[in-house]
Amino acid sequence: MAAPVIDTRAGERTQPPASAPRKRGRFSVHFAHYKWLYLLLLPGVLYFAVFRYGPMYGVSIAFKDYVPFLGVNGSKWVGFQHFQDFFANPDFPRLLGNTLILAFLNLGIAFPLTIVLALLLNEVRLSILKRTVQTLVYIPHFLSWTIVASLSFLLFALDFGPLFLFLNNVLGTNIDFLSDPNWFRPLIVLQEIWKNTGWGTIIFLAALATVDQDQYEAAIIDGAGRFRRVWHITLPGIRSTIIVMLILAIGQMLNTGFEQIYLMTNALNRSVADVFDTYVYFVGITQGAYSYSTAVGLFKSLVGIVLIFGTNALAKRFNQSGLF
Amino acid sequence: MIRRKISLAAAVVTATALTLTACSGGETQSADISTVNVMAPFLEAQPPSADGAVQKKLRELTGKDVNITWAPNASYEDKTNITLASSEIPHVMVIQGKTPGFVKNAEAGAFWDLTDKLDDYPNLKTTFPDIQQNASINGKVYGVYRGRAPMRAAVMFRQDWLDKLGLQPPKTTEDLYKVAKAFTEQDPDGNGQDDTWGITIPKWGALGTNSPYDLIEEWYGAGNRWIEKDGKLIPSFETEEFLEANRFVKKMVDEKLINPDFATFDGTKWNEPFFNGKGGIIADVDSRVSVLINLFKQADPNNFQNKVGFVGNLEGPDGELHAHPTDGYSGFLAIPKSSVRTEAELKTVLEFLNTMNGKDVAVLLNNGIEGTNFALEDGKAATIKPETEEGKAVTTDVKSYAQLGMNVTGNSFYPVKQATDYEQQVFDKRTEVMAEDLKSAVYNPAAPFVSATYVSKGAQLDNIVADARIKYLAGQVDEQGLKDAIKLWNTSGGDKVKEEINKLWQDNK
Repeated sequence: MAAPVIDTRAGERTQPPASAPRKRGRFSVHFAHYKWLYLLLLPGVLYFAVFRYGPMYGVSIAFKDYVPFLGVNGSKWVGFQHFQDFFANPDFPRLLGNTLILAFLNLGIAFPLTIVLALLLNEVRLSILKRTVQTLVYIPHFLSWTIVASLSFLLFALDFGPLFLFLNNVLGTNIDFLSDPNWFRPLIVLQEIWKNTGWGTIIFLAALATVDQDQYEAAIIDGAGRFRRVWHITLPGIRSTIIVMLILAIGQMLNTGFEQIYLMTNALNRSVADVFDTYVYFVGITQGAYSYSTAVGLFKSLVGIVLIFGTNALAKRFNQSGLF
Repeated sequence: MIRRKISLAAAVVTATALTLTACSGGETQSADISTVNVMAPFLEAQPPSADGAVQKKLRELTGKDVNITWAPNASYEDKTNITLASSEIPHVMVIQGKTPGFVKNAEAGAFWDLTDKLDDYPNLKTTFPDIQQNASINGKVYGVYRGRAPMRAAVMFRQDWLDKLGLQPPKTTEDLYKVAKAFTEQDPDGNGQDDTWGITIPKWGALGTNSPYDLIEEWYGAGNRWIEKDGKLIPSFETEEFLEANRFVKKMVDEKLINPDFATFDGTKWNEPFFNGKGGIIADVDSRVSVLINLFKQADPNNFQNKVGFVGNLEGPDGELHAHPTDGYSGFLAIPKSSVRTEAELKTVLEFLNTMNGKDVAVLLNNGIEGTNFALEDGKAATIKPETEEGKAVTTDVKSYAQLGMNVTGNSFYPVKQATDYEQQVFDKRTEVMAEDLKSAVYNPAAPFVSATYVSKGAQLDNIVADARIKYLAGQVDEQGLKDAIKLWNTSGGDKVKEEINKLWQDNK
């Protein structure tokens, strides 16, 4: 997932070249004038048409009883049957609950921590220290979830994992963190924080670099301390970036991360671990219920879209510039 | 995840488009198929090369230009489904089992029904009709099954520990408990520390997958997946014996005779506690005995004998031996209708499979090439030492080519000669014990039957009971919780599965 390019100078909108009333033929003149720019646009449009919109045709199997041998066209239409089955399934409330809880935990804890870390890094004055720390916190992002899960298994292993021994000695308990359902969510959020917080700071650090330095000087002269400066200058300065990142994060919210959860699931914590992503894999790939799992995936995507538009509208209502 | 699904959908869409163009091309195939395309899984790190010695010899022996597409085992089922929707459908496909995907495709007419055809070919007419029946879908045979050893269950233990404590190898489940308890409490490694346990069990919860739990339940008399009680088939977990077996395992968990992380312990590390002297017992397939012996041999080539002992299945509390057999097959070789279109073509392909099942090809697929990588010694295949580059390549390739072996008339290839006399003795004893246990095997009476409800949600249903079993053993729920889960299995669709299986069973009696 490539990081989206964000216009950090939010609020500024490029104005159309002319505000004269539009007439017929205006477009062809306009087109002729900018034809090279449109040509530049073509590869991008083609890419989206072929690789993003074209395959959406396959989504139709959510409304069919798809059998690979019969193909997408040859399979029978069943309408909303798979959706009805899914909503009537006793697993549905549990899946929805687990997915939402994990999503909100990640959004509520991991997301603000990214901003906090970016602010902390921003306050470091020693350039070499700042760069070293930055590089170090980016590294976990490049480790695969398999490695993160293996590390967790080693650290929390029953009877000999160092963190298992340490935490249980401190708390005076005997908790098996890896299989105790109560510890599943904290573990997942911790892993998420460890792996992705550093990486997430990149965009905020870029935004922080654009905050006007003169304002800090003025504030210092007025006698503002560090926290005051952060609160009244830095944070408002990157507010629009935060909003944009928040909207994007909310759109991705239901993508709880298949690999991470799949790797940390076992028979003892499955009741809290099953989420839409793992369910789609389990039902779709291992049981060959392609249509049903496509319906589940489609439902998840719809919720994602609603969330994006909803947050965007909210952001606009509170007089912030939204994403679009 | 969405992106991955979309790209899968993209592949499917493109593939379908290709099928359509291929069809409209009006391409006609002659009955004389000279190139046979085969799709098979490979389990090694690399698939065999297409111009290796084994491949050349295979072409020579079958008289066909055999063209094998190897697909990695881990994604084989996806690949099967995508291939079926494409235009490049092979003439023969290895299918790994009666998965829901395969059943749906087969019932939609993707494969030839071979029920009445196989008996016309001497090497395809099975000498084990029961296994062929098990591999069928409700009596319809959609492929030539790949035969596997019908009995593999064994209990292996640290022989040196047993000798040190002056114990006898276990014969019954009660003996197993006693040995496990002694291994846990009597310091079998003699280091003066309480750092050993009895049985090691890895994360392996799913029902009916020959897990250690399945073995113990069967030994207790709970049956093999399904059991006949009062003229009806019921799932094993609805028997009283199932509960008794799990009470027994729970007792061992509670007394710490089993590794405490049994719900999360990584199965690929299963041998480590055994080898490192932590857990002294493993209940698994008998071939693990050789793997364990090899570990000790690598560590100390001069002193590896008498480290690993083993017995076969154990007698249950009722004093009887209910041995746990395998399904006897591992998938089948099926023939898709879209590539093999006419009866005449089907005949050509079946003749090819008949040749594949002959002794010459069976030896090639399983042993290799005589004089290149193995030599015959008293009817056994012995690896030629020192190994030549060519010989090594053949030995490596054979590991993958064995995936094409069917052996429906028994193994016609040579048994492998073991490296040392001790290993040969162990191997011979394994063969003997397994043959003896096979006489007491309790089979799954529902093996040939595929219920429609089970196809659509069986795995989810079984998970209810499988998870409850582990939770019960770990102490998260009590016995009532386990019983409730079994009730939930019934109300979530299990009732229907039972009904369908019983109907199929009655109809086929």
